Amino acid sequence: MGILNIHLPIAGIEFSVLLLILIGFCVGVLGGFFGVGGGWMITPALNIFGFHMAFAIGTPLANIFGQSIGAVRKHHRMGNIDWKLGLISIATSVLGVEIGSRVILAMEKAGDVGIIVRWCYVFLLSILGVYMLYDYFVIHPRIIELAEDERANHIPPGVRGATRISDKLHGINIPPMISLPASGIDRVSVWVILSVFLITGFLSGFMGVGGGFIILPVLVYLIGLPTTIAVGTSLVTVLFTAAYGCFTYAVKGRVELVAAFIMLIGASIGAQIGATAVKYIKGYGIRLLFAIMIVLAAFSVLTEQLYKANANPLFQTFAGIVLMGTALAMSATIICKLVLQDRKDRSGRNQELDV
Amino acid sequence: MSFRSIFVISALSIMLVSALPFFERSEGNAIASEKQETALTMKADTNHLSGINLFIARLYNEDRVLYATMVTLVMAVLGTFLAFVTDLILKALGLEVSRISHRE
Repeated sequence: MGILNIHLPIAGIEFSVLLLILIGFCVGVLGGFFGVGGGWMITPALNIFGFHMAFAIGTPLANIFGQSIGAVRKHHRMGNIDWKLGLISIATSVLGVEIGSRVILAMEKAGDVGIIVRWCYVFLLSILGVYMLYDYFVIHPRIIELAEDERANHIPPGVRGATRISDKLHGINIPPMISLPASGIDRVSVWVILSVFLITGFLSGFMGVGGGFIILPVLVYLIGLPTTIAVGTSLVTVLFTAAYGCFTYAVKGRVELVAAFIMLIGASIGAQIGATAVKYIKGYGIRLLFAIMIVLAAFSVLTEQLYKANANPLFQTFAGIVLMGTALAMSATIICKLVLQDRKDRSGRNQELDV
Repeated sequence: MSFRSIFVISALSIMLVSALPFFERSEGNAIASEKQETALTMKADTNHLSGINLFIARLYNEDRVLYATMVTLVMAVLGTFLAFVTDLILKALGLEVSRISHRE
């Protein structure tokens, strides 16, 4: 680990440049593709490899802010952003981030905050991942079956009862109500949206994540956005919350600039590749990959927690392997899918031209 | 083999190879981390620092708001610049994006 190590002046530790770029690149690919910042991966990764938890929470927010700029631009060009929803969400999210970061600083004074943050990670990632897998394998096929049944028996759509949570939330009639035409939503209460983003903002500030890994499932399952629009819109929220989080954590002395700078080199390149890949993969494919990834991430953080409890270095090595392995495998899957699908499209176009 | 294939294979190889040595943490890092775990110092140690590192550490110690402003600006400028350059490279590789249909 001696080669290409760099001294990080604020954190006061030696760290590998290649590891920082690699973490950045993987997080960039995943961020651009899933509409997440990637703090849920960078924070445990940096902590596992030697960062103090406070720096491991603050530094990713700076990196997430930088990488999201290019990804948002790209998603905008693909028509994947509901700007109205994104902008409504920003003020509430920022308020949530501030509350979350103040809570974490207060808890830091009382003792080791890392253990609580890690348990929160495990809990949230597990719940979200398991629900998304359940949706993919159980709810979605059932809805398709019902829709086909309705078509076959000439029953009007929706009469047999909507099973999606978003449909129930759209039924909450607390004025003012708004419509989100870009997302295909006719009526939803502003209060539902504000509540959702206040909670995601709080979790973002509390755990040092851009909030995307919570926002994406929330936009899809609670607000009812198509997956690709949820990805782009999530990134808008991530961009603004991360910008604010970056500044506020830096003021509090929790951002390691040199590490964030180096990670951003890999992350910006990865984010462009990830965002481009969205063009080639269907919405439910994105959801499945996302669910697998966050379940594995939860497992990795759980293993890290076991290390903290038992001081057995085997757990930590295993946690690192699972985390980096998941990120590498998922990034490689996305890049391969991008290349193969692009090749397929080109050969299809060439055949059309030949005809 | 096309340039794109070489690019992707190289990227994957670099990712995989560079990941291998990193699953062990150096003793120095572990000790430094443990020290910080018990008492997180709010001042960066400027001893043995020089050049840009010294400048960053001094700014961090002396003016936190200016440090935060610099961090935010550096991230914004570098993020925009790298996105622009990567976009140009992807365009050159034929991976240009346009409006897409939203399929579930």
